[in-house]
Amino acid sequence: MNIAEPEPEIRPEARGVFTPELLDRCISCGFCLPACPTYELTGVETSSPRGRINLMRALETGVLGDDDPTVLEESSFCLGCRACESVCPAGVQYGELLEQWRDHLWHGRRRPFQLWPLLWAVDSPGRVRAMGLVRRHAGRGSQAAGPVNLMLGCFERVLYPRVSREALKLAPELAVPAAQGCCGALHAHNGELKRGKELARELGDALPGTIVSTSGGCASHLAGVLGSERVKEFSQWMIERERPASSNGTAPARNGAPRTQPSGRRLRIGLQDSCHLRTGLGVWREPRELIARVGEYVELPSAAVCCGAAGSYSVVRAKDSARVLDPHLDEIAAADLDVLVVVNAGCYRQLQQGIKRRKLTTRVVHLAELLAESELAWRQTPGLTDHAPVVPRTANRLPVGASQQGG
Amino acid sequence: MLKTERSHRLSAVATAPPTGLRQRLEAVVGRDHVRTDEGALLTFSTDSTPLERGRPDAVVFPASAAEVAGILRVANQLGVPVIPRGSGTNLSGGTIPHRGGIVLVLTRMDKIKEVSDADLVAVCEPGVRTIELAQAAAAKGLLYPPDPGSQTTATIGGNVAECAGGLRALKYGVTRDYVLGVEAVLPTGEIIRSGGRLVKDVAGYDLRRLLCGSEGTLAVMTELTLRLVPAPEASGYGMAYFNELAAAARAVSRVLASGVLPVTLEFLDQVCIGAVEDYAHIGLDTSAGALLIFGQDGSAAVIEHDLERMAQACTAEGATSIRIAESPEAAAEVLEARRAALPSLSRLEPLTLLEDATVPRSRIAEMVEYVQEVAQRHEIKIGTFGHAGDGNLHPTAVLDPADQKAIHRARAAFGEIFAKAIELDGTITGEHGIGMVKLRYLERQLGADHMALLRRIKTAFDPNGILNPGKLGS
Repeated sequence: MNIAEPEPEIRPEARGVFTPELLDRCISCGFCLPACPTYELTGVETSSPRGRINLMRALETGVLGDDDPTVLEESSFCLGCRACESVCPAGVQYGELLEQWRDHLWHGRRRPFQLWPLLWAVDSPGRVRAMGLVRRHAGRGSQAAGPVNLMLGCFERVLYPRVSREALKLAPELAVPAAQGCCGALHAHNGELKRGKELARELGDALPGTIVSTSGGCASHLAGVLGSERVKEFSQWMIERERPASSNGTAPARNGAPRTQPSGRRLRIGLQDSCHLRTGLGVWREPRELIARVGEYVELPSAAVCCGAAGSYSVVRAKDSARVLDPHLDEIAAADLDVLVVVNAGCYRQLQQGIKRRKLTTRVVHLAELLAESELAWRQTPGLTDHAPVVPRTANRLPVGASQQGG
Repeated sequence: MLKTERSHRLSAVATAPPTGLRQRLEAVVGRDHVRTDEGALLTFSTDSTPLERGRPDAVVFPASAAEVAGILRVANQLGVPVIPRGSGTNLSGGTIPHRGGIVLVLTRMDKIKEVSDADLVAVCEPGVRTIELAQAAAAKGLLYPPDPGSQTTATIGGNVAECAGGLRALKYGVTRDYVLGVEAVLPTGEIIRSGGRLVKDVAGYDLRRLLCGSEGTLAVMTELTLRLVPAPEASGYGMAYFNELAAAARAVSRVLASGVLPVTLEFLDQVCIGAVEDYAHIGLDTSAGALLIFGQDGSAAVIEHDLERMAQACTAEGATSIRIAESPEAAAEVLEARRAALPSLSRLEPLTLLEDATVPRSRIAEMVEYVQEVAQRHEIKIGTFGHAGDGNLHPTAVLDPADQKAIHRARAAFGEIFAKAIELDGTITGEHGIGMVKLRYLERQLGADHMALLRRIKTAFDPNGILNPGKLGS
């Protein structure tokens, strides 16, 4: 601050791209820099949250135009992981700013071309349903919505149909009508904020009552539109579901049993947080708690750092996505993990592919799959109280691997 | 007047980007490490200092001392300003290129070369983050004590260039107390070393100390040798409320007179207590006039003994309630009150002006009361928190950036606060530096002869005035 010599500051007309209160919040302290994966990759201020907010401000005041190459590049280089929000002392809602940024910029030729087919595919509930027809997910065409409904997701029902089946096994009270579309997160994060919110509301209408999602990113977006009372992420809901029981003194019977490898070693299980689940919904203890009941939970140093999947990022910016993933793979290898648990469909694909590329033996499973396998193992071994056989480590001998191949 | 003209003549000002600048920089560091796109220049126009900006002509990212020397030679030939920068957390505009030129970013030079438990030193490049150095030292059972508020982001190079302080300064000192040796590139391109791994070394002028706190105006540091100390076994904390700040200040004096040298002695005034409680809801007593947070590190016995003594001193000065943290969780709660001070204040209004006027410990109460009086007179909301142990205050004004009149009033208020600090044998800046925002107050504190000497020193290092011109030494 130049204290003694005030200059009349001319504030250029705001263009209305951003909500002024959101943009004003940043105090430029720079605490977000080390939390940002793209700043860590480059070391360049321009590719940091503070740098991007300065670009947004320049866009808002017209100092930089919509076609400025740096503005366009940074709007897509950002992962949208919102790790910056968790360290921001001023409470900047960066995720919302990013959505507004892309909503303004990403139209016509400025939208990354890879996004067109993705957004088209999930834009209509009919198409989403059709995509899922070829896979054996938990959805049943005839079923009506119940008080608590399981969300199938759009790409999740195609890529990982077993996740919803296992979730249903663990919680048979869930209703799973097949007549449900996409939650709209993909739209909201990629320049179609309005449509993204519409899709969320449409899904809310299709599934009245509580909605449980096995994908952290979807849960966070949906909760943002429908409210966090109605929308629960799977691990969060599982923990809340058993609370009344445990407060009555009847703790869940089987879940406390430690699991071991056939060799006698307890399974070493790590987790990749879902960014929006952790930052948006504040859910990170729950999956860890559930995993610790099944094996030895190993906290990876970068568990809370974006894996690079970041929704459509792995498609739009494949190379950068792989660079963001690399340190995670190093950590997984170094930690000698048997299983890596994911809680979001995008992370599932990202880590599965990365681990395959590196030829690591660690299995990637969704939390629902891990818990269901552990239940199954317990049931198949009558009389076993504190040692249960567990899923072996190599993927090709597993029901998980099989189901992924065959659907 | 003559002096001003002279200093301007000696300082480089980039009126238009010299032709061929980009090509010449590329020849030194390679294409990928020079940025001249408008968006990048915009993001390097600011640091953490509110309201100030200046557009550079180029941003360059060297990877070695040789590359730094190459860049400085180019700049010297062309007469282009060079502004060294780490993570850009400066609070005095020290890394803002307000006269254009080249922003020299040192974040690629981020290697910790050595942590020696035999010599109790760390050797590192300037782009290493303070927290990373502290962690590397901790891994060997050692402590790097300076812990400025920005330690998770800021770099060691920036910490040394600004002589950063922190929360442990009373017991452990500030950054300058830990700089044993530097390698630096002079603005004319030569590489020098001063000091090294030795505690005792009086060969030549103490240039490493001169460079510490030189704010990037004399040379660019490319390697630092830092002193480490054995890490304390543990630490413990407590807090005490007082009806008025003067009583808390007397308690601080009594603590120090009792033979205890605490690692932590922080205070919050009433405005800060209210702001923290509104934001963090941690159960603070908002009717109190001041909150004192005290702490000690060392062995369990020392901690228990010293916390007890500090609690007694607070009681003797009329503390209304005292709490000693019995567990690490309780300690974290105590520290949360201080940690949340800046975030809480910053959420009251979009614009946060954080200052660092510092006075002798015995004048703290007088100074804080003066700050409140000035704030009321100028109708500005100012909360004051800070380091009670070393007299380093952080009067923090919060206002609406759209309210030009309020900004003018805040400027006037801080002008008076600085004058008062000087009057009380204090300083206009304890740890943030002079940069571009406090240069005009410096002569009032140092006097004309001292200022003239600073300019002669600057000229001896930087004959063409290319390094961070228009700031310290100008």
